[in-house]
Amino acid sequence: MKRTVPLMITMVGGLVLIIQYFIPHQVSVSVFNYYTSWAPIVSGFALILGVGSITRLHYHKIRIRDRNWPYSLATLIPMYLMPVFALLLPPSIWGGNQAPGLFDFMYTRIQVPIQSTMFSMLAFYIASAAFRAFRAKSALATLLLIAAVIVMLGQVPIGDLAGRWLPNLGQWILRYPNLAAKRAIELGVGFGVLATCLKIIFGVERGWLGGAGE
Amino acid sequence: MYDLIGIWVAAILTLAIYSFLYKENPLYRLAEHLVVGTSLGYSIVMIWNQLLFPRLWQPLTHGQDWTLVIPALFGILYITRFYPRVAWLSRYPIAFLLGTGMGVGFPLDMQALVLRQIEATIIPIYAPGAPFDVSLGTVVIVLGTLAALIYFFFSKPHRGPFFGTGSKIGIWIIMIGFGATFGFTVMGRISLLIGRVQFLLGDWLHLLH
Amino acid sequence: MSAMNFWMKMLNIDRRWIFLAIAVVVIVPFFARMGLPLIPNREVRSIYDCIDSLGPRNALMIGWDFDPSTDAENQPMGIALLRHAFARHVPVFMTAYLPLGQGLANMALEQVSDTTVAGNFVIVPWDAWEPFRAQGAEGRDSLEAAWIAAGHRLPEGSRGWVFEGVDLAFLGYQPLFYLVILGMGNSIASQFPSDANGNPVAEMPIIQAHKNLRQVDLAVTLAGSSACVTWIVYGTAKVGLRVAFGVTAVMATDYYPYIQSGQIIGMMGGLRGAADYEVLETQGGYTSSTGRAYRGMDVQSLAHLAIILMVVLGNIAYFASGMRKKTALKAGR
Repeated sequence: MKRTVPLMITMVGGLVLIIQYFIPHQVSVSVFNYYTSWAPIVSGFALILGVGSITRLHYHKIRIRDRNWPYSLATLIPMYLMPVFALLLPPSIWGGNQAPGLFDFMYTRIQVPIQSTMFSMLAFYIASAAFRAFRAKSALATLLLIAAVIVMLGQVPIGDLAGRWLPNLGQWILRYPNLAAKRAIELGVGFGVLATCLKIIFGVERGWLGGAGE
Repeated sequence: MYDLIGIWVAAILTLAIYSFLYKENPLYRLAEHLVVGTSLGYSIVMIWNQLLFPRLWQPLTHGQDWTLVIPALFGILYITRFYPRVAWLSRYPIAFLLGTGMGVGFPLDMQALVLRQIEATIIPIYAPGAPFDVSLGTVVIVLGTLAALIYFFFSKPHRGPFFGTGSKIGIWIIMIGFGATFGFTVMGRISLLIGRVQFLLGDWLHLLH
Repeated sequence: MSAMNFWMKMLNIDRRWIFLAIAVVVIVPFFARMGLPLIPNREVRSIYDCIDSLGPRNALMIGWDFDPSTDAENQPMGIALLRHAFARHVPVFMTAYLPLGQGLANMALEQVSDTTVAGNFVIVPWDAWEPFRAQGAEGRDSLEAAWIAAGHRLPEGSRGWVFEGVDLAFLGYQPLFYLVILGMGNSIASQFPSDANGNPVAEMPIIQAHKNLRQVDLAVTLAGSSACVTWIVYGTAKVGLRVAFGVTAVMATDYYPYIQSGQIIGMMGGLRGAADYEVLETQGGYTSSTGRAYRGMDVQSLAHLAIILMVVLGNIAYFASGMRKKTALKAGR
């Protein structure tokens, strides 16, 4: 029940849907239609796990007055307030999920700016890495840096000042040698994906069973 | 007023995140924790509004489509993860989604990620009348892909005219590819910073026209 | 010896000085504009030409498959695509792979419909033209004529009307989006009983004319992750959907194989891709001036030069300070 049934569900579900792909019969299509209707509903409940885990973690920190426990309030309060604002508060007092409203405010003025800014910090780190880490220590590393410089200059308007040959060379690098390298990698990834699919369906790969008791 | 307050809040939070570049500080920590909470809060609303209400609640209560009870019960099993004695039940919905996802993706992945890509590599090396850069490029695509695949084949030692030479050419092609990726990565990171600076200088301080 | 010490000091410089240098390099060009011309590349031109060949009888699907972390690169692409499609009255479906993407799609619609700015559109909500639906207005042209006859006027500077349910269906987010794409291959309405604003999708004229993905002429996925590949696997391979990518620069180099194999018709890569599209739109007369992406290219130019300079200086410092010999000695070479 604890391991065998889930493995059977995986195998039967996987095989049925592989076979379904090749059979155009009405029964096969019905199976497919039920699957595309039901599976998203099942997956929607997975959010409960995320919310529950975060709540458990931060509630524990608040309860034991951990060193940085006030920050846990900054996580839990918006997490529970946003659904209240969007779903329970009437639009007349800034409820609902349209602008102007508290829910929209928290998304567009808190979530979006913070998340955008966090990733934009990488620009500073890549500049620091460019100075401190990118070394032409070998012929291959030098080739990498030369290709990078050509592509970087070819992608910006200032590269045109040296003549059209620079952006054209950059485009040629992207469309041919870069393509060849990436295709080889993508083929490897593709074969890996297929192998992983089969390993999971046939129960060879069982790591996903872990973490739920015995 | 709503927009004005909103822009100031967004600008302050933006600067709070950037303050980390100087030194970690409480304002940065606050923003960091806020984003986790708002992200989950937003997702809860989306899942209810877009999925559970129109595709589960309404058909069940108004459309009387009782077959939907099955996926609902299956999904509720996720909750058992929090109770160690029955946590094994949470494997059922995971197994369902994993197995069926692998099954439905297998033939399509094979077609799109593998077969179609191999087909696009088995092309004539020379086409009469093609410009020199295109002809050279086609040679690079065909032989370069093969050489790069030889490089990634670690089951045989890279020696001899086929594996040895092939893997040497392969690593050169791969380095050019990674160089292109590095160049684009720099461009991408700078672009993200440009976006935030445009917001700060334009939308907040109104210094840009 | 003193020269070596200088380079050693350079190598050990506090990285906050480098951060400051980048900040200056990014801020200054906003005030000292160069306005260098941009020649769009053919991968972007393919997408533009495809949408330029579409009209009111076709359909375009735009997937807002990114989250706020890549907003600076992907959002300008989406806004440019919306402007182009709305100007040509191409019906647009908008979907989102991630919950956070739906909010960004909504923000894009708000920006394109901000009539205080010239060149934007007026979006007529589904409820607002309900009386005309009841009267049996059929076809976009007759609906617009009836709407104008009822006394509605475009604000000054606006380019046109966009009727929700006819020109636009904001479908929004659904989980397990690969299943949604598969399901849309048979029926779009089955995956989206209601749109992001709660309107009934099955009743919309846009759905009655374009029931599934086989009747959609192009899907453009704007992605900051490998979500874009899902459209090829579950859309192109399954029902032959034409797909184009609008991806971040970090990922763009990985997807050239899909262009060459014909699985995608074109690709916008990063801010440069968005800037290319804005230039093409301005050349085509759809916008009077380019937008934020093109504005950022001046900054991009100087920033790239700065990064290249840092790489060169770092290498000079490394070799001139004797670090290379020290590292080789340590490694026993």
